[in-house]
Amino acid sequence: MSDEFQPKKSLFQNLKEIIYGMAAHDMSRYAIRTRASMEHLFILITMGDLLGVPILPPYYSLRLLPYVVPQIATWKRRMLREKDLSDAMF
Amino acid sequence: MSLKETFLKNPDRRYVMFGGKGGLGKTTFSAATAFWLASEGKKVLVFSVDPQASLSDIFQRDIFGKGAVQIKENLWAQEIDADSHIKEYQGEIRQKILDMYGFDKVPDEIEQYIQAASAEPAMEESAIFDAVVDIVVKGAYDYYIYDLVPLGHALYYLSMAKVYDEWINRITKLREEMREYEEMVSRLKQEKHTEEDQILTELTYIKNRINASSRILTDREKTAFFFVVVPEEMIILDTQKAAKLFAAFDVPIAGYVVNRMVPRELLEQDIPPYLKNRIEMQAKYLNQIKRDLDTQVQAYVPELERDVTGLPMIEKLAGIMYGG
Repeated sequence: MSDEFQPKKSLFQNLKEIIYGMAAHDMSRYAIRTRASMEHLFILITMGDLLGVPILPPYYSLRLLPYVVPQIATWKRRMLREKDLSDAMF
Repeated sequence: MSLKETFLKNPDRRYVMFGGKGGLGKTTFSAATAFWLASEGKKVLVFSVDPQASLSDIFQRDIFGKGAVQIKENLWAQEIDADSHIKEYQGEIRQKILDMYGFDKVPDEIEQYIQAASAEPAMEESAIFDAVVDIVVKGAYDYYIYDLVPLGHALYYLSMAKVYDEWINRITKLREEMREYEEMVSRLKQEKHTEEDQILTELTYIKNRINASSRILTDREKTAFFFVVVPEEMIILDTQKAAKLFAAFDVPIAGYVVNRMVPRELLEQDIPPYLKNRIEMQAKYLNQIKRDLDTQVQAYVPELERDVTGLPMIEKLAGIMYGG
């Protein structure tokens, strides 16, 4: 098994991860979430037609399409799902 | 100043456009101008951005969608086939998706979007717009003569450049903000590098393409835009309106060409009252044109005895416009 060959983490490495977990993990999680929201906003303003919201002249939006292919499914789910109060809390 | 002098005095004006209401002679003047410049030894491309182009008709050769076709020495003509341009482009996008993700086929949802986007009316204009950039950026000719679409479309074409530019600036900003968040995460996680944002690269590319095209259309040094008018009330009014709008988009108006003048000498002959009335009507509006536009009128072109098609008639017209 490949695990056996992995060198043990040093004390310093362990300490570093603990400190990251305590201090910065939440921040980076928040940053990733914000980044994801912006990603969806970006797809909305470029590919709005997918939901029937035509926003931009389509010729150049096609150029961007290949890059957002993997996000489109989650984006659609997020844009079209019902919103309720609990959204504000989580 | 005559048209000839205008061209000789401004050798840097390599992009020449004739604009005006439909059916006034834009294509005819484009062809004649191209013919004259070519006979002066300049390498000229006259091309049409009109989906219903008529360069094929005037040169009496089928050039639609065939790239630049040589008509005579130094003279090439091209009609952009927007449909096949769009199809080719769609193909490239599909291929890119397949290559990037290793799919066997494009997912249905994405395919539907590609189809739907291409059915939009704006698609054709944008495709032509983009094709023009391709042609002009290469810079292989001394002169580029745009056979423009009628006024409304030409304005749309111009305003599109501004709208696009604005739009792209905004989403580029959003994209850059997204990038900042990404960098913040990798700093927090102490990762060394973040991947290059390919979308940002694409956006910059798109922005440069659009700017290249609109810069040419509004470049005072390099562009000459001529309005074609006919001495009739409605046409003069429409042209004045259009001139204002074009000025608002910073299009440098190089002058006016008056077309379809019924020769006044006919009055000396025994002609029917119908023709007499038309000559008098034209005289009235011609006075108005002279009063309002004065020195900006660069050529007066008479109504010819037959329509201008085929090289001999084009040559004759070129002689009238640029002779003397």
